[in-house]
Amino acid sequence: MFQGLQFEPVKLPQSSVALRAEVRAFVEGELAADYLRNSDFNAGESAEFSQRLGQQGWIGMTWPKQYGGAERSFLDRYVVTEELLAAGAPVGAHWIADRQSGGQLLKFGTEAQRLEYLPRIVRGECYFSIGMSEPDTGSDLASVRTNGVKVDGGWLLNGSKIWSSGAHMNHYMIALVRTEPQSTNRHAGLSQFIVDLHDPNVTVKGILNLAGDSDFNHVFFDDVFVPDASVIGTPGNGWEQVVSELGYERSGPERFLSAFRVLVEFIREVGDNPNAAQLALIGRLLANLVTLRRMSISVAGMLEAGKTPITEAALIKDLGNTYERLVPELIRVLAPAKTSQRFQNTLHQCILHAPSFTLRGGTREILRGVIARGLGLR
Amino acid sequence: MNEQQLITDTIRRILQDQCTKATVDAAEAGVWPAGLWQTLEDNGLTLAGISEASGGTGGELAASLLIIREAASVGAPLPLAETFIAARLCELVGAQRPVGPVTVSGSAFTLTQEGAGYRLQGQAESVAFANLCSTLIVVGSDASGAYLCLVPLAEISQEVTQTMAGDPQSDFAINCLLPASAVFASDAGLSNQLWCLGAATRSVMMAGAMTSILEQSVQYAMERQQFGRPIAQFQAIQQQLAVLAGEVAACQRAADSLNEALVPLNEFDIAIAKARISEAVGSATDIAHQVHGAMGYTMEHGLNLRTRRLWSWRDEYGNEDHWQQSIGRYVVTQGADNTWKTITDAG
Repeated sequence: MFQGLQFEPVKLPQSSVALRAEVRAFVEGELAADYLRNSDFNAGESAEFSQRLGQQGWIGMTWPKQYGGAERSFLDRYVVTEELLAAGAPVGAHWIADRQSGGQLLKFGTEAQRLEYLPRIVRGECYFSIGMSEPDTGSDLASVRTNGVKVDGGWLLNGSKIWSSGAHMNHYMIALVRTEPQSTNRHAGLSQFIVDLHDPNVTVKGILNLAGDSDFNHVFFDDVFVPDASVIGTPGNGWEQVVSELGYERSGPERFLSAFRVLVEFIREVGDNPNAAQLALIGRLLANLVTLRRMSISVAGMLEAGKTPITEAALIKDLGNTYERLVPELIRVLAPAKTSQRFQNTLHQCILHAPSFTLRGGTREILRGVIARGLGLR
Repeated sequence: MNEQQLITDTIRRILQDQCTKATVDAAEAGVWPAGLWQTLEDNGLTLAGISEASGGTGGELAASLLIIREAASVGAPLPLAETFIAARLCELVGAQRPVGPVTVSGSAFTLTQEGAGYRLQGQAESVAFANLCSTLIVVGSDASGAYLCLVPLAEISQEVTQTMAGDPQSDFAINCLLPASAVFASDAGLSNQLWCLGAATRSVMMAGAMTSILEQSVQYAMERQQFGRPIAQFQAIQQQLAVLAGEVAACQRAADSLNEALVPLNEFDIAIAKARISEAVGSATDIAHQVHGAMGYTMEHGLNLRTRRLWSWRDEYGNEDHWQQSIGRYVVTQGADNTWKTITDAG
């Protein structure tokens, strides 16, 4: 039938039961009582928290032991990530490195690159930014103009990347760069590089988002020299690599849990005396969430089986983003007349950041295009 | 080939041969598809998962859900779900199931001892396919508990109407004397079993029909030409169908969870499935019809075989609001800080 619409039920292994309890207890011990929990993976970052998480062995946990990993399954990793998000822990520092940069090095990087970066990522000490978008390149990723010119011993990069979350705090960026002039095959001639964000020829300028946070950045490359040793995979193979990366980027629980703390605080506010509409809303949000979560676990099972679930990942992200956009909108109108400051802060933070949910990692229009391809429509 | 695949192939082959649009149209006009029912019965497909001791064909209960889902995907006008629920309830109380198609009613009935037997009284409402079945199964209650009652329908006069799906349903009063051999003591959970099995079967039926309307819509979009090309090539259509695909995928996943939700009865999972799938029907049928244009609005086009049934099934055995509230009540009782635990405990 159609490609990418089958989400075979997957049971989490017995090993994950104990793991879940461990993670839950750990996070509860870490978060102060007055910490404003936020399930948006991008909402908070703490190097200290990431390092303590690393000490627990919960970063890079699917990776081979020779690189510091724990060789655990994608299903175990799934459990850790969803527990961290549901609790609203500050995971922003290591999130990208753990979710996709490390995996990218494992899949396409050289042995030297793996040995250099992976053990540090695992320890929660090394953070990566995504370098895909540019001022004139958003959804049309193949149109990137940042270019790399071959020089003796490496490449000289010029151009800029934008919307790079955490680039002002992170150590490296994996940048998608055009290394050959654009030909009729727009996807050819792109390469991925590891760029040191502390290089003197790299300038990171913060961009305020509408919530007043300076999370994302505009990153400028002015004759940045990148040694050959920092090319990921084969020069010219960047497109194929970046597409593979998106499977990891799009299917995880961060695509439907961003508003989860709003739901928890809403349930706290309605207390023992909910009305019928509030009960129905809680039930509706639960029915959607439980189902999305099961679909996401199915995809973790596919990753574990070595598959590349591109369409499934796009589908979960689109459904999940639609859901997490809906949560604060529906809760807002059914909240009791008088609510706590904690509820209001949680709700308002979510509403202010909600526009990013359906943009980051691929807009809903792009995702629906991917799904349409799975349906055979294009 | 595994058992599940074998069942799927068999039911699909039979439906393809014997459950055409003409079959469904005729049934809606009052012609019972006796041949189709007989073929399904002969192949052991009406009682899959029911133990042989109770008159079934054995195997996993999930096999019945699979068959019911496949039949629903082509709008088969048969009381397969009702017959399955009746057989399952008979199995639970140790009764031998009646032969042929059987229907059930979830209405409340009172039972009083009268002589050597029992008098059953109450009002049966919207009983699916009751005019075509010889036996009705209900739960009758007296002060001491609930009893499964096998009620012969031959003597009862029914007011027969049609659901939005075009399937027959009946309203009728019951005031009859049953022999002790038609009344089976059970625990009080029987009414809940009936209601939950109803919701579970309607859920898989909707999942089946939803998958069908997606297939129909995609096929139509690739064939229908406007502005000199198939409408499937327009982004506006692609985006709509992608949304429909997302809803369908979620419904399939929610329905798949029910394979393990019947024994022991997992009311939470059934509530999740019925709430999620009923919620999806409105937007999914909207997209399917929009893609089909005026063609899909005609009685002649096969799309309405599924969409009319979806509109009917989403309300039967509790609409989404009913089940959402039941989930909401449970979650609130657990307390806000246990919400995540409730979700992960559900698996």
